Amino acid sequence: MSSQDTLSRELALRIGLAARALPDTDAKRLFTVLTHCLGLPITEDKIGSLNLKTLKAAQAGEFSDIDDVSLKKALHILKHNVETGETLKPDIQAYVEGDMPGSVRIACASNDAINVDGHFGSCNQFMIYQVSADEARLIDIRFTDSPDGLEVDDKNLFRAELIQDCQVIYMASVGGPAAAKIVKLGIHPIKLQGIESITGIINQLQTVIAGTPPPWLAKVMGIEANNRFRFEREATG
Amino acid sequence: MALYIVEADCISCGDCEPVCPTNSITEGSIVFKIDKKTCTECEGDFDVPQCVKVCPIDNCILPLEA
Repeated sequence: MSSQDTLSRELALRIGLAARALPDTDAKRLFTVLTHCLGLPITEDKIGSLNLKTLKAAQAGEFSDIDDVSLKKALHILKHNVETGETLKPDIQAYVEGDMPGSVRIACASNDAINVDGHFGSCNQFMIYQVSADEARLIDIRFTDSPDGLEVDDKNLFRAELIQDCQVIYMASVGGPAAAKIVKLGIHPIKLQGIESITGIINQLQTVIAGTPPPWLAKVMGIEANNRFRFEREATG
Repeated sequence: MALYIVEADCISCGDCEPVCPTNSITEGSIVFKIDKKTCTECEGDFDVPQCVKVCPIDNCILPLEA
């Protein structure tokens, strides 16, 4: 879609965050409505001219049943600069090594901070969670911008090193050479069939941890083989 | 001579199963396994064991006896 090429990253982020302020609305729905009332390309100026009435009437009243408070909140987000660290970071929970025995640290490649919707090599951020059978904490958000003025030779290696302390990374897609770099650092890459919510992924993982985790997972979680199960020595039969 | 799969490292991706020329690899109850009676380490078929070649994990498939 060529329209997305002309959408600045800042505006894209604002649309994503504004959508979160609205019930049952994802960035795509909001983007469609905005396209309807503002036309493409969506620019800072056009968004500046947007008001509650226009937003409510747009696309044959797509948002007409949403309450004014939510819409005003979304408008405010759309019109104001995102202070990255501030808007996204309050959710981070304290974690000290050893807090959660039998846990695994996972990274989720994400653009919207809600779904695993990112390509490893191009996502905006990695959401870092510590997950055990009965608890999950968001312990960090790592943005993938390279530090100012620093030339990164190998983008994928830079990204892999960013999440080096994780045992598993979930992503919507990843290329072969990048996956090899991830594996080299001892991180287990998992490419999903499609986009899934981070909470959904965590729930699935918790079910696995609570049950019988596969040997490789038990190993990275530091569970001794003997404590896992008594396997029959039929493997090489 | 035969190879075996290190249980703690196998991620059950299944990549090795179809490349085995002697059909010695099957999915076991926990991870994949190699039948040591039929595994030839690909001798006579290939220069290098095919399962080792395609396995994404280092040192996951090793010779049974050193």
